[in-house]
Amino acid sequence: MLLELRGKVKAGRICRMSDLGKGQRGRVLNIKVDNPALRRRLFDMGITRGVEFEIKKISPLGDPVDIALRGYELCLRKSSMEQIEVEVLA
Amino acid sequence: MKIALVGNQNSGKTTLFNLLTGSNQKVGNWPGVTIDRKSGIIKGTDFELIDLPGIYSLSPYTPEEEISRKFLLEENPDLIINIVDATSLERSLYLTTQLLELDTKLLLVLNMSDILLKKGIFIDVEKLKAELQIDIVQISAFRGTGIDELIACLKKQNIKDNPKLKIYPAYVEKTIGEIESKIGLANGRFIAVKLLERDRLFGDLMDESIEQKVKALERFYEMDMEEGIAYFRYEWIEGTIRKALRHVAKSNSVSDKLDKVFLNKYLGIPIFVVIMTLVYLLSVGVVGGTTVEWIDAKVNQFKEVVATGLAERGASDWSISLLTDGVITGVGSVLNFVPQLLMLFLCISILETTGYMSRIAFLLDKLLRRFGLSGKALIPFIVGSGCSVPGVMATRTVEDSKEREMLITLTPFVPCSARLPIISLFAGYFFDKYMGLVTASFYFLAILVIIISAINLKKVLYKDVNSSYVSELPEFRVPDVRYVARDVWEKTWGFVKRAGTVIFFCSVIIWVLLSFSWRFEYGVPIDKSILASIGNLLSWFFYPILGEFSWGATVSAIQGLVAKEQVVSSMSIIAGFSGDVNRELIFAKDGIFGFFTPASAYAFMAFNIFSAPCLAAISAMNKEFGSTKKTLRAVAYQTWLAWVIATIIHLLGLVIGGIS
Repeated sequence: MLLELRGKVKAGRICRMSDLGKGQRGRVLNIKVDNPALRRRLFDMGITRGVEFEIKKISPLGDPVDIALRGYELCLRKSSMEQIEVEVLA
Repeated sequence: MKIALVGNQNSGKTTLFNLLTGSNQKVGNWPGVTIDRKSGIIKGTDFELIDLPGIYSLSPYTPEEEISRKFLLEENPDLIINIVDATSLERSLYLTTQLLELDTKLLLVLNMSDILLKKGIFIDVEKLKAELQIDIVQISAFRGTGIDELIACLKKQNIKDNPKLKIYPAYVEKTIGEIESKIGLANGRFIAVKLLERDRLFGDLMDESIEQKVKALERFYEMDMEEGIAYFRYEWIEGTIRKALRHVAKSNSVSDKLDKVFLNKYLGIPIFVVIMTLVYLLSVGVVGGTTVEWIDAKVNQFKEVVATGLAERGASDWSISLLTDGVITGVGSVLNFVPQLLMLFLCISILETTGYMSRIAFLLDKLLRRFGLSGKALIPFIVGSGCSVPGVMATRTVEDSKEREMLITLTPFVPCSARLPIISLFAGYFFDKYMGLVTASFYFLAILVIIISAINLKKVLYKDVNSSYVSELPEFRVPDVRYVARDVWEKTWGFVKRAGTVIFFCSVIIWVLLSFSWRFEYGVPIDKSILASIGNLLSWFFYPILGEFSWGATVSAIQGLVAKEQVVSSMSIIAGFSGDVNRELIFAKDGIFGFFTPASAYAFMAFNIFSAPCLAAISAMNKEFGSTKKTLRAVAYQTWLAWVIATIIHLLGLVIGGIS
C-alpha cells in the first residue's frame, strides 16, 4: 500500500501529492482534477505547475492536510491531493 | 464618487471598511443572493464605499465572485481599493492581476505592514509601485495607522489610470489584443482574458474564430487556457516579488508553535471538546442561567406595573391583557435570550478572529464529510444548541451555497435551550429519576436525525453538493477588540430587531385567538376560544402521537411557534393554573392532560423538539435561504420528520408497554 510509504517517498520520485509525508517538500507537475470548480479553485489558490510546497500539518484524523506554498498555508483533502502529480524534492 | 473595496478573506477588509466609514453604514442584500451588501460614506468626504465579498479570484464558480464581477463590470465604480495582506503578498496579488485588466482605476492598500518585520519580510514599496504602475498606500488596519494618508490620497483624486499591464507571454498578449479589438466592449481586456478561459458567463460572446484562437494557444502551451492564464499570472507575480520582496527565513512562528498544540494528533480533538464545552457553559450555563430568571422576574414586575397602572387609569380589561399577556410576555421571551446570545456571539467572534474557527473545520472535516458536509458545519450546530437563530445565522461561514442550504434545514434540529423546559416538564413527571437520561437521549436522537436528514437531503434535494474543502489556514492572531465589539453588537441587535418584530406580531395574533370566541366575545373560557376550536380541528394530526384527540396539547404545540418554552406555559394556562407551573396538577388524572402516558409524553416531547422551530428561527431561516418557498419546504420537512419520529416512538411505547 502506498499509505505505508508515507513520509518515505524518496526525493526525485514522481508520485501523487497525497503520498508525501509531513515535512516533505515537492513540486507540482500536473493537476488532473475532474471537478471544474475544484480545479479552478486550486489554480486560484496558487496550485499551478512548477510551484513548490511543503506538507506542514496533518489533521489529527489523518485528513485534511495543510500545505505551505506561496507564503501562506492551504488546507486540502487527500482526495483532491490524489489528483495532483508531484515531484518529490526532499 | 463610487469606490469598491475588494480583497481576500482575512485581508482585514471589514476592519478597513469600518475605519473608513465609521458608523455611517448601510447593510442590504445583493440581488438574488443572501450575501450582505454593505456600503458607507468615507469620513470627511462624500465618496460612497461599497464592500464587496471577500474573494480570492474573479472566477465564475461561487456566488461571491459572481457578484463582485457583476458589480465591477456593470456598476462602473470610479475606483477600486484593493486591500492586500502584505504578509502573503504572492497569493494576494493574484486577485490584483485580475483587477489590473479592468478599465477602472486601482489603488493598492498594503495591510499589516506592522507585522512584516516580525515575520522577516521586507517589501520595497517603491519597487513594487514601479512594477505594478499603480499607487500604493501602506496601512495597519489592526493599529489604525495609515488611514488618514489613505483618505488624503483619495481626496486628491489624482489616482493613476489602470495601467493594464501586459503580463502574459507575447503570443497570449497578441491573441488578447485581437479578441479585444474584435469585441470592442468596455473592460475589453478583462473580457478577452475571460474568453480565453472559456468563462461560462461570457459564453454568448464566444464564436468560431475566437474558439480557433484559443485552441491554437492551448495546443502551443499544451494546457487549457483556464490553467494557462492562472499559470502565467503566478509566473508574473513570482517575477515581481523577486524584485520587490526579501524574505529572511525565521524560525518557527508563534502561530506554528500554537498549532503544535491545537492541531496536535492526540490533544487537538480533546482541546476542541474543552473549548466548545466552555463556550456552551459560559453562554448557556453561566450567563444564561443567571440572567434568564432575573430578566423573567423583571418582565413580570414590569407586567404588573403596566397592568395596575392601566387599571388605575380605567383601561379596559382586554387592552390590559393584550399589552401584558400578549405583547410583554411575547417580547419578554425574546429578551430572555439576549444576554446568553451576547456571550455566545462574543465567543464565536473571538474564535473567528483568532483563526481557531478555521482550525475547527480542519480538525473535523473528515468526520462530517460522510454526510455531505464539511468541517465548518459543526459551528452552526454548536451555536444552535444555545439558540437556533444565531445557529442558522452561523451557516454563513460555509462557502458552498448548497451545503449552506442543507445546514439551514439541519441546524434547528439541535435542541436549543428554550426546548429544555419542555423536557423538564414531561420527563420530570413521567420519568422522574431518569430525567437526565431522557434529556441526553434527545441530544443523541438529534444527532441521529441530523445524520439521517443530511444523507436524505443530499440524495433528494442537493444531489450535486460536492462539499469540497480548499481553505486557507490563517495564522493565529490577537483579536481586534473594536472589530469584535462591533461584530457582537451588530449580530445581537440584528437578533433583537428581527425576533422582536416577528414575536410582537405573532404574540398579538395568538393572544387574539386565545382571548376571543368566534363571535368575537372577549374573555371567554379558554376552551371556547378561537384557538381551542382550531386545536379541535387539528387534533387529528396529533392522534397518532398522543393516542387521544386533545385540543389542549394541539394548541400548546402551536404556541411553541412563538417560543418553544411557551408550550409549557400554554399547557399550564389551559390546565387552568396560570402562573407557576406545577407538574402534579397539570397531569392530574381527572384533568385535561390526564391522558398522557409515558409513551405519549416521550412522543410529544420528541415532536415539540424536532418540529418547526420558533418563528424567530423560521424568520432567520427565511433570511438565510432568501426564498420563502425554500423556507416553507424546510419547515414542512422538519415538521413531517418530527411527526414520523413521534409516531414511531408512541407505537414502540405501546408495544413495549403491552408486553410488560
